[in-house]
Amino acid sequence: MTTVSTHEAFVHPALFYRSEQEYTRQTVSFLREGLAHDEPMAVAVPGPNLEVIRAGLGADTEGILFLDMTEAGRNPGRIIPHVLRGFADAHPERRVRIIGEPIWAGRSDVEYPACAQHEALINAAFEGRAATILCPYDETRLHPEVITDARVTHPAVIHGDGRREVSGVYDWQAVVARYNQPLAPAPDAAVFPYGGEDLPAARQFAVSQAARLGLAGERLTDAELAVAELTTNSVVHGGGRGTLAVWAEQGQLVCEVRDAGRLSDPLAGRRPPELGQLGGRGLILVHYVADLVRLHTTGDGTTVRFYLSL
Amino acid sequence: MDSRHVVGGAGPVVPGRAALEVSPLPSRCGIRARGEISEITRPSWERALTELSRHHEGVSCVELSEVAFVDVAGVTALAVTAMNLPGGKVVVKYPPPQLPRVLEMFWPGLERIEVTPR
Repeated sequence: MTTVSTHEAFVHPALFYRSEQEYTRQTVSFLREGLAHDEPMAVAVPGPNLEVIRAGLGADTEGILFLDMTEAGRNPGRIIPHVLRGFADAHPERRVRIIGEPIWAGRSDVEYPACAQHEALINAAFEGRAATILCPYDETRLHPEVITDARVTHPAVIHGDGRREVSGVYDWQAVVARYNQPLAPAPDAAVFPYGGEDLPAARQFAVSQAARLGLAGERLTDAELAVAELTTNSVVHGGGRGTLAVWAEQGQLVCEVRDAGRLSDPLAGRRPPELGQLGGRGLILVHYVADLVRLHTTGDGTTVRFYLSL
Repeated sequence: MDSRHVVGGAGPVVPGRAALEVSPLPSRCGIRARGEISEITRPSWERALTELSRHHEGVSCVELSEVAFVDVAGVTALAVTAMNLPGGKVVVKYPPPQLPRVLEMFWPGLERIEVTPR
């Protein structure tokens, strides 16, 4: 067994815990180590676990940023640009220490592929950066396949009893590829094919369909913005045309754009933009506003689906 | 500036099609836009913003009460123009709801832009 080096630039262990006691012991000791090194720290975990960590730390919570991951990281595609890089970029001269728990027992089957890809892409997004990100996994409540995937997306594992090991199956690209799954067309969707001249009409179609299905207020503005970005991408980068589909499922509005484009950059939409940067905000906007983004890309084309809770 | 001159016109505004008319404000430094700001009309919008920064003194006004939609690139062009001004600020009057939403998302607390809501 090899211990996890704290001298590597980027350290990204999974924590497999089996009880609240194990959770508290390992997360608190992780944070106390950061306190000892005076590192900026953030904790982004589901609400009840935030309380467990706070209670375990006692008086030492000052200066630590606490975020409820079920809100900040509802859409797993938002976690890298908004939560992790958001915090790390705010402390460019320092090593940062973060607890990020993006996968909890209530995550749906529709969400999970995006969660697994997110965990994999953290490795690409933080390569060479001075950061330690600990990702807790509830071994008793998560599906065994989730734990298996976590060994592939994390170079190292810490067990609830404190044992540490290097993952022998670490291969984050494999998880990105495995969950790049085809998205079957929805049978009851309202469909609108578009070309360059039809961008305003495509947007208006999305707004009227979304309103008909119950979306309102700022969420409707968000849907309009996101559809505008995706359909414009089709026209500019995706073969000049595409097909927009809108429907509702499981209490969520879903907008989908299919085109002939190919997304070759796995971190597209996950790099926070520089303030003065002119382009490259379209897909980030989709990740920021949506509750979930699913994506399937091949040499023949790309499908992007975003979900907004109704 | 001649108040009748269309700075970045892209033809008449026809419902359902993307068009943008931009003209200088008659009584103060600034522009008024009508139509939508999106991929198709962005060249007109960017030309108008270049003109705006060239004539900028202290406070410039961008009147958007007749703009139905602005996309992320359109808000970006405005934000970057404002950030690159030598001083002063841009007052954006009555913009469509996408503008404050995108500003808040990517440039929270940007002092160079003051928004007067619809």
